[in-house]
Amino acid sequence: MGLLTTTRRRRWRSEQVEETDPRQQVSRRLWAMRIAILIAFAVLAGQLARLQLMRGSEFQQRAALNQLRIESVIPSRGLIYDRNGQPVVENVPGFAAAVVAADVPKDRTLEIADGVQRLLGVPPLETTLKIQQARASNDPFTPVILKEGLDQTAAFHLREALAALPGVQIVVEPVRRYVGGPELADVLGYTGRVDEDDYAALKDEGYLASDRIGKAGVEAAYETYLRGATGRKEIEKDASGREIRVLQQNAATPGNDLTLSIDLDLQRKTTQLVTDAAHGGQAAAIVMDVHTGEVLALVSLPLYDNNVLSGKIDEARLEQYLADPKKPLVNHALSEQYAPGSIFKQVTGAAALQEGVANPSTTIVSNGYINVPNENDPSIVYTFKDWRTLGALNFYGGVAMSSDVYFYYLSGGYHAYGQSFDGLGVDRLARYARAFGLGRPTGIDIAGEADGNIPDPAWKKKTFGDDWRLGDTYNMGIGQGFVAVTPIQMVRVTAAVANGGTLLTPRVVREVRDAQGHVIVPATPVIASQVPVSAANFAILRDAMTQAVSWGSANQGAVPGIRVAGKTGTAEFGPRFADGSYETHAWFSGFAPADDPQIAVTVFLERGVGAIDAAPLASKILDYYFHRPRPQAAAAAAPAGGAP
Amino acid sequence: MNLRNTPTREFDYILLFSAVALTAYGALLIYSGSLTTYGSPSRAFSHPVSRQLIFAAAGLLAMVALSRLDYRLLGPASVALYVLSIAGLIFVLALGSSAYGSRRWIVLGGTQVQPSEIAKVCTTIMLAKFFSDNEERMKSVRVVATSLLIAAVPAALVLVEPDLGSAIVFAVIWLGVAVVAGVRPLHFAALAGCVAAVAPLVYRLGHDYQRARFESWLHPDRDPLGAGFNILQAEISIGSGGLLGKGFTHGTQTQLDYLRTQTTDYVFSVGAEELGFAGAMVLFALFVVLLFRCLRVANLADDAFGRLIAVGVVVFILFQVFVNIGVNIRLVPVTGVPLPLVSQGGSSLVTILGSLGLLQSILGHRRKRRRNS
Repeated sequence: MGLLTTTRRRRWRSEQVEETDPRQQVSRRLWAMRIAILIAFAVLAGQLARLQLMRGSEFQQRAALNQLRIESVIPSRGLIYDRNGQPVVENVPGFAAAVVAADVPKDRTLEIADGVQRLLGVPPLETTLKIQQARASNDPFTPVILKEGLDQTAAFHLREALAALPGVQIVVEPVRRYVGGPELADVLGYTGRVDEDDYAALKDEGYLASDRIGKAGVEAAYETYLRGATGRKEIEKDASGREIRVLQQNAATPGNDLTLSIDLDLQRKTTQLVTDAAHGGQAAAIVMDVHTGEVLALVSLPLYDNNVLSGKIDEARLEQYLADPKKPLVNHALSEQYAPGSIFKQVTGAAALQEGVANPSTTIVSNGYINVPNENDPSIVYTFKDWRTLGALNFYGGVAMSSDVYFYYLSGGYHAYGQSFDGLGVDRLARYARAFGLGRPTGIDIAGEADGNIPDPAWKKKTFGDDWRLGDTYNMGIGQGFVAVTPIQMVRVTAAVANGGTLLTPRVVREVRDAQGHVIVPATPVIASQVPVSAANFAILRDAMTQAVSWGSANQGAVPGIRVAGKTGTAEFGPRFADGSYETHAWFSGFAPADDPQIAVTVFLERGVGAIDAAPLASKILDYYFHRPRPQAAAAAAPAGGAP
Repeated sequence: MNLRNTPTREFDYILLFSAVALTAYGALLIYSGSLTTYGSPSRAFSHPVSRQLIFAAAGLLAMVALSRLDYRLLGPASVALYVLSIAGLIFVLALGSSAYGSRRWIVLGGTQVQPSEIAKVCTTIMLAKFFSDNEERMKSVRVVATSLLIAAVPAALVLVEPDLGSAIVFAVIWLGVAVVAGVRPLHFAALAGCVAAVAPLVYRLGHDYQRARFESWLHPDRDPLGAGFNILQAEISIGSGGLLGKGFTHGTQTQLDYLRTQTTDYVFSVGAEELGFAGAMVLFALFVVLLFRCLRVANLADDAFGRLIAVGVVVFILFQVFVNIGVNIRLVPVTGVPLPLVSQGGSSLVTILGSLGLLQSILGHRRKRRRNS
């Protein structure tokens, strides 16, 4: 205390007001500091207690939510087999680089976009845009594809390198490979990524933004069967989105498998035969079972490779397809409509027989043309040509020789120059044509069918503002003028003629089975309606078509050892040439065997003549079908799941 | 026997124990926090725990060495130390390595050294020396102004780095030492008035990142994946720890990397998550013991110089503990201040253990004259 006393005394001398012992003052200040320390820790402890003790369970939940992530498990898409059990598609792993926006630290977005450019060559602007869009959406957890179509080794190397870029990951997704070849592209179609526009509607069905969906053909038509049910996986993830472990998993239900009615061997052979006959032009050919409506072969030329459109799209090839005037992506068998020409005479003929306009012995003389005077001014005379002077023809002859004059009479009648023959008239003809399923889609299980057109006076008035004339009925009766059909419509007409009037809905898928092999949709024919023509009249028509092949205009359609019935067509189209002729499409529509019909065949060749180009092609297809090594052998060798 | 000039040779083992306990506590949390990046401590010397333990050993050596040294020798050397540490700060500004957008380190012999940590101690010594030399003139405005300048120079230099947290530490050291030294309340009031007047201006002139930090502290939910991420995740980590925690190395937030800088600025969150409220109270208790033992040194110090050094050390430890934990529990806006003795980081650990050695010296080099009187 001695030293301090002196200090104090000194202070007393210099500053009279000082009244406290400085030692005590210091001690007081130190006590104040002790209290300050305690207060500081009390404040910290208070806030800590608030977080940990009072709101502990709330934060425990948030911590649990933090690392818990629910992911959709994409089901494996159903497989597709031909009718003999040959697989025509497979699912192969596709590797893509994707980004999960929620896992990208915001302050590192640019850095990560740069890294993505370095490793994947994706422009940084594209990456940042995708990340920002995903962040702004209400689902920043779904991976957004940055680059797809990586090959496997590249994907494995990238997986290592991408560890430095939080949020960017390699995703493996099943991609379709079409192993049946381009011959099946028009039937199968292809899968592709969900369009942004469609996503809004599909989201509720469990689709992800990066998901794939059937875009055309069977892939699109049977999407609901093929897709299966999306599974859910609860996983624990670390802050950069790496999967730590799976907590719970509801497995995805794999999609259902389809068995096509298509016979792959027949499809390939038909494609080859049509390709040989088409000389690079557009063409279509359909082989259909006349009792079930099952399509055994469906060919549309030019072909396209659906592998190009599935998985990573080959933009250059797609561009090429889209620019091609022959429209390879369009299914010419059902999405394009043409004038049917003389194969339409099946309809006119059946209608005329049923309506009593004609019977087998109805005889009409073809002088190569008929003249029709104008109703108001008889000095004006219109001429309607036959393809040749054919002389006197009964119904069989009219069909067999495909006389246009014969069918002018049946459709429009003839009342001039002393003759009086009542025809069907446009209304009855149109009614029968529609009863045969023309003028509307057949309902085949491939999307994108054209309607075709069966004209009538009301339609003409509406479309051209013009009155229906007798000439229009004549043209309609021989499948020209305003009549437009698709090949699939015509094969159905022929099948109805062959089976006695049952209008079938064509199917390319025979049966749907689930992954365990249980049949979900059985192979039952779908009957659209009954054509109101008697069995006897169909028998007459079949007989006439048989004669067309045995001695008539369709004789090039004959097949050794099989009786074939058929009708050729040479449909005029485009502008009229100086000599009065037109460019023509070639048609053949027929069935075999004539006395016990099994299959109907319709072929269409752009630019050609029915008797010269289409009939021989049909003959070769029928010949292959009836005379090839029996498909049963192939069925026996095929794996399980094949058609019985 | 004349014991007047014989040092007491007292060594405060409780102070040593609490410091070692805190360091060990820290090493455990660093171990847990670095499990995801380093796995088990196999990569011996590069592992953060090994490095921390090596620094702890160096710090303890420094503590023992400094405890043997008579702290009074630091009096004459204080100006030199102060100038050297200022030079260090200037050097780091000119040539330092940057991380997270600021220059705070220089690399010396393979180790990163943070001159601001050393400057904190040197400034404390300088202030203690200055106030103790001017004990009789505490009412002089010039003395107060000069002392302010002593603290302001290093504060300004670290502010440029930019390191607002450390700059405030200098201000707080000055405040604590000045209070105990006996600066008049009137002067404090005047100073507080000045600070209040320029505060809005400073906020406006402040770095964007500092304003952004302030904003995200107020509203972390506005950008939960960006600026608010650490704040929210630290809060979730701590809150989810509950009373007893999720168990050492079993914190989901820590082990799944939801916490960032979990061995340095957010090391407290690791402890709070894995060891819970109870574990945090143990930590608090250790700090309270440590700080009280330091104040005991201030109380027992022979002279104002020793006393003010002790007070300065108490203030800067207390302030950093408060701010660091305050940031973790969202009481204070994000400020990069380490948790003394616990956070990973050699400079801070060695400096604090060294300055505790200084306090041991103050305790051990008292003259035993009281017994005679």
